[in-house]
Amino acid sequence: MSRPLLEIEDLTIRYETDGGDLTAVSNASFSVDEGEFFGLAGESGSGKSTTAKAIIGGLDDNGWIDGGTIRYRGEEIQDFTDKELNEKLRWKEVSWIPQSSMNSLDPLQRVSEQALEIGRVHTDLSNEAIREKLKEMFDVVGLQQSRIDDYPHQFSGGMQQRAIIALALFLEPSLVIADEPTTALDVIMQDQIFKYLDRMKDDAEISLLLITHDISVIFESCDSVAIMHASQIAERGSTTAVHDNPRHPYAFMFKEAFPDIREPSRDLEVIEGYPPELIGEVSSCSFTDRCPWAVEECHQSAPPLEPVGDDDATHAASCFRSDEAYELYERYGATDPSAEVEAEQGGN
Amino acid sequence: MSSMKRYVVVRGLQTIFTLWLVLTALFVMFRSMPGDFTSQMAVAGASEEALAALRAQWGLDEPLYVQYWRYITNLAQGNLGESPVYRVPVWEFVKMRMFNTFILVAPAMTFTYLLGALIGTITGSKRGSRLEKLGIIPVIGVGSFPAFFLSIVLVVVFASWLNLFPTSGMLSAGGTELETWWGPYLTADFGIHYVLPFTAVVCRYLFIPSLIMRTSVVEVMGQDHTEYHRLTGLPIGNRLRHVAKHASLPVLTIYPVSLARALGGVVLIETVFNWPGIGYALVEAVLGRDYPVVQFVFFVVAAFVIISNFLVDLLYGVIDPRIRVED
Repeated sequence: MSRPLLEIEDLTIRYETDGGDLTAVSNASFSVDEGEFFGLAGESGSGKSTTAKAIIGGLDDNGWIDGGTIRYRGEEIQDFTDKELNEKLRWKEVSWIPQSSMNSLDPLQRVSEQALEIGRVHTDLSNEAIREKLKEMFDVVGLQQSRIDDYPHQFSGGMQQRAIIALALFLEPSLVIADEPTTALDVIMQDQIFKYLDRMKDDAEISLLLITHDISVIFESCDSVAIMHASQIAERGSTTAVHDNPRHPYAFMFKEAFPDIREPSRDLEVIEGYPPELIGEVSSCSFTDRCPWAVEECHQSAPPLEPVGDDDATHAASCFRSDEAYELYERYGATDPSAEVEAEQGGN
Repeated sequence: MSSMKRYVVVRGLQTIFTLWLVLTALFVMFRSMPGDFTSQMAVAGASEEALAALRAQWGLDEPLYVQYWRYITNLAQGNLGESPVYRVPVWEFVKMRMFNTFILVAPAMTFTYLLGALIGTITGSKRGSRLEKLGIIPVIGVGSFPAFFLSIVLVVVFASWLNLFPTSGMLSAGGTELETWWGPYLTADFGIHYVLPFTAVVCRYLFIPSLIMRTSVVEVMGQDHTEYHRLTGLPIGNRLRHVAKHASLPVLTIYPVSLARALGGVVLIETVFNWPGIGYALVEAVLGRDYPVVQFVFFVVAAFVIISNFLVDLLYGVIDPRIRVED
């Protein structure tokens, strides 16, 4: 198999805050293949957007990459300067669909002006060529070509979303990062957006890194998935493997927290508590305090991301009890198992 | 008729109506104040009969509506009347004084707003930095002093001690006679007299655009389109240009109002620098109940605010397409 398009290895990202250095991402590893749709899931503040921003050098001023590597087509890019990122990576290779597309287009600029500005920063293309490319993309996302000179307020919300997708695609990148692209939209629009994304997957062999808190979206549209909890990747692997054979407690509880149309009467799982804020080095599993199956070991060191199952080579989980946790959950639900087990043994 | 034309016509008519209201309000207001221009003569000991004759001569004994009708009809013919105190036509009395004030205040305030917008953009874009927290302090500090105090400090330091500029006046006495009225304003002599009063106006008012621009920039910096510009990899210069464009709308709103306020408010600066502007003459005219003069000057200031607001409304549309009146 050829080399993955994007490889992230042991990535650690910190933010300088008044309360100390906050660890937003700790030792995250995953890779995205060419043409693959990869979902990055987790609650707000789990570090998924931070991870994605780091890829295109878009961390906020107080954030920095504190360790690990990001490789794009085999080349290490985590230390790229702004100039190198603009020349080699941004938009031509990796582009971005922002979270709030309704407010992300500059209301004082025509869409075409915005495209020209982006094009001039990243390419030597003539204005005419840039306009042509944008027109083509407007076609792809179902907007009239003549409307590239409109201002954002002349579009409806869904059209703005499509315009921003066109802006992400017009320089023909290989990887598109979509940060909660459908969050603000109704389900019909959501469905349409995924239709466009699917079409570009088929037509252009584009890879997608989809960031969302809605794991059902990932199960529906992604090939692979990584689930993050409070800076750590809890579990990753092919969508089928993670869906059918989850091994990390957060992964299966997160999954069960969403309704399933096939089991409408099932009780939804509730994960008690909030993800912790991690200041300084992370030296435990960040899910420990919310995990019904946590043992002493979980408090003392962060479990490494290790291969699990034999279904899929990339399937890995970072849990000391990955072998037994799901089984316990299946049998007893999300309760303290040792007490239950003891009671059961006592009964025998 | 296109909607743009209709907009301009409607706004134009509104503007004329507002100007008429202002004119009438000024007329009534000054006549409601106790006393008229003869009051000071009464204090000086003039006889009651003489004052009554004087009032009759200037038509002040007639009913208010008669006076008002005469005032309005004269004005419509371009006749501003005569100052009963100075016994000269109003236009002759105010024209050079108003021009002198305008030539000082308008360029100084325009410069103030451009500089303030720049200071606000730089400090506001560095949120949380030392520059953002401290950079604005000198601007506010200087602006907190009364105008006359600032002017005196400038005179003492740059005129008396350093001897770089003249202490007062607009032109040196006994300068060469020039044929045109505007000739003197183009001389180096005028320029050197201009520096300190100009600086005083800038120092006095700089904090207003700086503060508003800074707040506005901080707000725009947090908006999603600014974040998107950043993620697309636009250089900082381009990004700040976009931010400044958004943030300039509130500053633009208060610019004409601020300019008009300064036109009336520079009297202290004019007095310290002995600048031959309208400020001091206006104070005298109000105290002396010189109706024709005060009515005209206040009317000009009000008209200035109203008309420039109209222009700013049109300018908004140029900057922000969302409030543009489409053709």
